[in-house]
Amino acid sequence: MNELLNQEKSIYLQICEMIETDILRGILLEEERVPSTNELAKQYTINPATAAKGINILVDMGILYKKRGIGMFVASGAKDAIKTARKKTFKEKYAVPLVREARGLGISRQEIVSMIESIMEV
Amino acid sequence: MEKLVLECRNICKSYKDNEVLKNLNLVLESGKIYGLIGRNGVGKTTLLSVMTAQNPATSGEVTINGEPVWENEKELKNICFSREIVGGTPIAQMKAGEYLKAASYYYPYWDKELAERLVKEFDLNTKKSMMKYSKGMLSVVTIIVALASKAPFTILDEPVAGLDMFARQKFYRLLLDEYDKTGRTFVISTHIIEEASDVLEEVIVLHDKKIILKENTQDLVERCFHVSGLETEVEHAVKGLHVYGREKTGRGIGVTVMLSDGEKIDDSCDVSIQPVNLSKIFLALCEKEEGL
Repeated sequence: MNELLNQEKSIYLQICEMIETDILRGILLEEERVPSTNELAKQYTINPATAAKGINILVDMGILYKKRGIGMFVASGAKDAIKTARKKTFKEKYAVPLVREARGLGISRQEIVSMIESIMEV
Repeated sequence: MEKLVLECRNICKSYKDNEVLKNLNLVLESGKIYGLIGRNGVGKTTLLSVMTAQNPATSGEVTINGEPVWENEKELKNICFSREIVGGTPIAQMKAGEYLKAASYYYPYWDKELAERLVKEFDLNTKKSMMKYSKGMLSVVTIIVALASKAPFTILDEPVAGLDMFARQKFYRLLLDEYDKTGRTFVISTHIIEEASDVLEEVIVLHDKKIILKENTQDLVERCFHVSGLETEVEHAVKGLHVYGREKTGRGIGVTVMLSDGEKIDDSCDVSIQPVNLSKIFLALCEKEEGL
């Protein structure tokens, strides 16, 4: 958990994504404890309720689970679950803005397709 | 910690002909960190001092769990109002050590060890007269009094005024640590809004003699947006919505929109929709209309 918070979106979503990214990068391993709500609150100087909101989303997604009296842990299979979830939002998050911008600039369908193909060949 | 509710009911406060607060209502629940924001001279300190029975309301009542706080020793035990120490006043002629000692007699739950630890942590010279303190050091004294008072309801008036970034960061961490350990309620008035906004669970905006907004900080930020673009497009996109702080530049315009449940910005228009931070919302809400 070393990324910085920015003002682009809600803090609890950023907390959520930071933990996900750390899991994807192997900074946090499956079955390992993640920082507690209060640890996150102090590190990022945010209200614990906000940190808890981010953690709870990951719990609802089955990415984190609670061990009573010990803390929050990364669930086994979390890495795959995050990838699956991110794939689902890929279109909305990346493809839609791409097409919208392309339209505004008058870039044709064929131009977009060949652009993507040339990138993917590298 | 026992659940407490502090309530201000129909508070009016005037100094001679100058009406500062008018029919103000506010309910604070225990176990939260509240932020009180408002423009200079809007009456934040007046409200806080009325709320803590250090200043009588012209009319209206302040209660804790239904009991009036005015001259109520039992309820006042639960409150600490750590006032801003102003240089040049009789209080500022005391040494910080004497001031902290006085506070230790005044606040029944005083934590001597915590006070001593904080003095060390902030490098405070307690033997020096507070006349010789910088603005930041005076703020440190009020922070120590507030935290060490251990009062269930603790109110800090401008605790970060004059503090450098390191000391402010230290204060927020100490505050969150104390909040984590005890669940005490904190009310913090501040002008450094952006920095505090992430720490505050709820934000309270005092404007034009009353509370114009009291809401979960994150929820508030999430329902506010900055919409900009060609004027006709923007006006179309935000039609019928609550719009604040119109800023025009040539053909372009930018507005701050506060959405209520079920409302939506028409994003089929060619406009930019961006998230806003608490300072921007505050600016949009409390801007004076004159001259704009």
